[in-house]
Amino acid sequence: MTPKNNFFSFRGQFIYWCAAILTVSTAFPFFWMVSTSFKPLLEIFVFPPNFLPDNFTLANFERLFEQTRFLTYFRNSVFVSLATVVLTITIGSAGAYSLTRFKFYGREKIASLILFTYMFAPIMIVIPFYVLIKKIGLANTHLALIMAYTAFCLPFSLWLLRAFFQSIPLALEMAALIDGASRWQAVIYVILPLALPGIIATSIFTFILAWNDYIFVRILITSDELKTLSVGIADLYNATVIDWGMIMSGSMLITVPVLIFFVFIQRYLIAGWGTGAMKG
Amino acid sequence: MKQSSQKAGVLLIAPSVLLICSLLVYPVLYGVWLSLFKKHSFFPDQRFVGIANYIYLMQDPDFWMSIWYGTVYSVSTIIFQIVIGIVAALIVNEAFKGRNFVRGVILFPYVIPTVVAIILWKWLLNNQFGLVNYLLMSIGIVEDPVSWMGKDHIMTSLILISIWEFFPFVVLSVLARMQTIPPVLYNAAKVDGAGPIRRFIHVTLPQLRNVLFVVILLRSIWMFTKFDTVWLLTQGGGAEKYIRTLPVYAYMRTFMYYQAGLGSALAVVMFIILIGSTTIYFKMFRREEEI
Repeated sequence: MTPKNNFFSFRGQFIYWCAAILTVSTAFPFFWMVSTSFKPLLEIFVFPPNFLPDNFTLANFERLFEQTRFLTYFRNSVFVSLATVVLTITIGSAGAYSLTRFKFYGREKIASLILFTYMFAPIMIVIPFYVLIKKIGLANTHLALIMAYTAFCLPFSLWLLRAFFQSIPLALEMAALIDGASRWQAVIYVILPLALPGIIATSIFTFILAWNDYIFVRILITSDELKTLSVGIADLYNATVIDWGMIMSGSMLITVPVLIFFVFIQRYLIAGWGTGAMKG
Repeated sequence: MKQSSQKAGVLLIAPSVLLICSLLVYPVLYGVWLSLFKKHSFFPDQRFVGIANYIYLMQDPDFWMSIWYGTVYSVSTIIFQIVIGIVAALIVNEAFKGRNFVRGVILFPYVIPTVVAIILWKWLLNNQFGLVNYLLMSIGIVEDPVSWMGKDHIMTSLILISIWEFFPFVVLSVLARMQTIPPVLYNAAKVDGAGPIRRFIHVTLPQLRNVLFVVILLRSIWMFTKFDTVWLLTQGGGAEKYIRTLPVYAYMRTFMYYQAGLGSALAVVMFIILIGSTTIYFKMFRREEEI
């Protein structure tokens, strides 16, 4: 543990100032979003702008819930993202376990295939994906979205989980087997608890990817009641008259809870990051 | 025992391989096939045209502009992301009060939906009521409001927003690696009389070489294929032509002109450019011991 920098030294001053600039430049747009979302319509367009609302109001949120399907979009987002996480983690853990614990023909080839597909970007597959999905009659369903996200998250999930499984010593599993546990029991009682931090980190990355996606929803979903938040909010912006107050209140509701969560879990994410998580 | 354990291994990896092949690899191959057809995006009729789509693209000025805009966008955002990312990682790697808070806040732009990032910046950069114009005017940098979404400035706005949105990825990757550099190296350098700048150049940078190799590779691929940030910024402005990068152009051809064949050809071109440049990148910078 290195000692904390002294606030009064030149070096300490320099570091505190840089940290302050970094924090303000990343956080200020969010502050402005929150401030705008609590302003009455007239105050939003006041020039010069008020940094904090003079007349605090919840009217923007009321309009959001009355005039849009915000809650439906929210429910859809939660459902699609959670389904993606469950599927990806189940399939990915099994695959990663296999890649680290079994020797079979073509194992290294599979590992390189996974690394190669990790580099695919949505725009590269979305056009043929759309044509294929239409062909099999799954266009405009949540299932199509879940399939797309699972396929998309699998390469990095496998890569990440593989790294976590590799860090668990084989001897622990052997010991359990010698003590008379079945392979299945060894996995459930020895491996899974040790791999849990890795599984949590991977779940978070997968969830964010599904939650934030725009392009697949835009292309695969046409009916309003099936849309998720990203497209729902984007469509509010594309309305003829832009209701900034309502858009800011919607944006605030879908980001601030996530951001507060992040301040608390960032240290676990940095650990996951070292092994190469997350794309976008 | 050996035989059955082999079977179990294959069985466990099978679902992953099956999904990746059918939902990622197959669509890409199918896209190559589609690019040889004249095909309507919504109706099933299609006609084999060979390489006509590619020949059309070679003579299409919009295609060449999209390559140019895409290159300007990705090169400039990557350079700034990397530089700002490393500097920010050096700062939050120092010990100071509130460090965990700052680390958490730096992540924000990267974890929010792109839609929200774009909406926030469109509001801040709004030419009539935006805060940025107000601040610039009140400290006297500009006299009249800047039209950030107009044709002269939209590329600058796009680049600034993208740097803001994606530099946290660099910070986190570099920070994760910095935490594993043995302090012994710094102490040795100090004893040898190296100042902070020389310690950075001769101790930190060589240690970061491998992680930077991967980060630059991934960020380049993702910036060159970035769709949502660029597309969402073009919505509702009049200047979308001036940031029409290759991914946006492929999307427009497919979903606004309904030319799925031509759209697929654009995606294939994107793929070929990526494979070509990553191969060159590997040849130039990869060393034996890496990855």
